Amino acid sequence: MTGVGYAFEEAWASVRRAGRSAAVSIGTIAIAFVTLGGFLLVSVNVQRVLDRWLESAEMSVYLHDDLSEELRTGLELYLRQQVAVAAVEYVSKERALERFRADFPELLDVTTAVAQNPFPAVFEVRLRTEGMDASAVDDLTTGLAGRGGVADVRYDRRWLTRLTGIVTSARIAAAVIAGVLMLGAAFTVAAVVRLSLHARRAEIDIMQLVGAPFSYIRGPFIVEGLLLGGAGAAVALLLIGVLYSAVGRWLGPDLTGLAGAGQLHFLGLREGVIMILGGLAVGAAAGTVASRSAR
Amino acid sequence: MIETQGLGKIYGRGLYALRDLNLTIDKGEFVFLTGPSGAGKSTLLRLLLLQERPTEGDVIVAGRNLSRLTRNEVQAYRRTVGFVFQDFKLIATKTVFENVSFALRVLGMPVEQQRRRTYQVLKWVGLQHRLNSRPDELSGGEQQRVAIARALVNEPHLVLADEPTGNLDPDLSLEIMNLFRDINASGTTVVVATHDRELIKWVGRRVVQLEHGQLAGLPEAPR
Ligand SMILES: Nc1ncnc2c1ncn2[C@@H]1O[C@H](COP(=O)(O)OP(=O)(O)OP(=O)(O)O)[C@@H](O)[C@H]1O
Ligand SMILES: [Mg+2]
Repeated sequence: MTGVGYAFEEAWASVRRAGRSAAVSIGTIAIAFVTLGGFLLVSVNVQRVLDRWLESAEMSVYLHDDLSEELRTGLELYLRQQVAVAAVEYVSKERALERFRADFPELLDVTTAVAQNPFPAVFEVRLRTEGMDASAVDDLTTGLAGRGGVADVRYDRRWLTRLTGIVTSARIAAAVIAGVLMLGAAFTVAAVVRLSLHARRAEIDIMQLVGAPFSYIRGPFIVEGLLLGGAGAAVALLLIGVLYSAVGRWLGPDLTGLAGAGQLHFLGLREGVIMILGGLAVGAAAGTVASRSAR
Repeated sequence: MIETQGLGKIYGRGLYALRDLNLTIDKGEFVFLTGPSGAGKSTLLRLLLLQERPTEGDVIVAGRNLSRLTRNEVQAYRRTVGFVFQDFKLIATKTVFENVSFALRVLGMPVEQQRRRTYQVLKWVGLQHRLNSRPDELSGGEQQRVAIARALVNEPHLVLADEPTGNLDPDLSLEIMNLFRDINASGTTVVVATHDRELIKWVGRRVVQLEHGQLAGLPEAPR
């Protein structure tokens, strides 16, 4: 459609004419998106670490020393039947001691000094991570506690789950803040578009008299918003990249230690594309609203 | 082609610019609107372009009541009407060439055709050497000719002209009138508002005389 080419030509000319105010609106959009992207970046990485921890999380079911072979087999069977359970490994008292000795050879004296083997036998249970909610695991814990022969159940995923909850709330808060900023950015874009609408009032009147279709009259302003929004998001992406590499260089080693062997991750292609599209959409929406009077 | 029925337009405090006007202009006619200043000539032309809405009565053009058009239909209707107004209505940021070709662009005409046609019409009005000037770099008469070129470029069904030769010297006025006659000869209805008796005499077509917003010769209503 020829109207599209026209809209882009005019919008580009208008953005250039707007100069400073265009730069300001690109700036505010960029700030909103840096905030959004920053939160996204942090939460992506935190989630990654949490996921890794969650994946390796195990439930340890400690057994009484006097547990009979029969009861033990029954317990193992019970565990294997649970949906939340992915794998069960039995570690006998002897194996537990061996493992300790292998892991901490410098403490060999301590273990030999003790007459009895102090380690309890344990079922190390690997839990399913996918599609499991906290209640399934809770059920399992209570179920186990009621069974004979179980001395203690230790489950290190519980606090991880709590942590995940905190991260989720933080994410929601971040989304709200980013939304407010985005709204502010949209208003700024709308103000700039309205300004150029004002500057071109006479021109719009003439275009209307010549019989220009409304797509011709309004198109340039919508595209102007689109360009400002897209540019803002692109600038934000660039800024996040710079911030990210700066933070990475500054905190890199510590963070890497915390995150395990894995590297820190930058926003993926998907997040980048979403941000740019988001910028375009916010800008176009602002332009559309602002140019309502040009009909 | 044009029919007004009980047409009235009131500006501000109850003063009629047009009052109970019943006028018929046939398709293909060339009509001069004349009358003293303030008679309502410009008002009638503005109503015909839907630049303003009537206060009373109806305007019917080509069988369609202009008051009933949707906004998109208004735009489509305007694409079939060429207009030359006293204040030219040129886009200040565009060149002479762009101002004229824009009327073709909104029709969706291919660019090459737009160019050829625009150049041709600007040559008719004697502005082929000012294609890249901006309106504010032109004299009043030159701006008027750009407006005329734009009004004629898309071969409209109807041309509305308000003092189209007001800023032109007599020779050029006659040339422009010849352009209007040519376009009228091809079937376009032409309505020209003017005070210029010489011009009216020279062209020798139907004359509609307005006075106080009504056809002259009718008993004047109390204002
Ligand atoms: N926008 C307006 N607001 C208020 N009154 C107006 C407006 N436009 C025109 N009028 C009034 O309407 C009446 C008719 O004006 P109009 O411009 O139609 O006259 P005209 O015949 O074109 O005069 P001229 O020959 O001087 O151009 C005048 O009394 C004028 O003062
Ligand atoms: Mg007038």
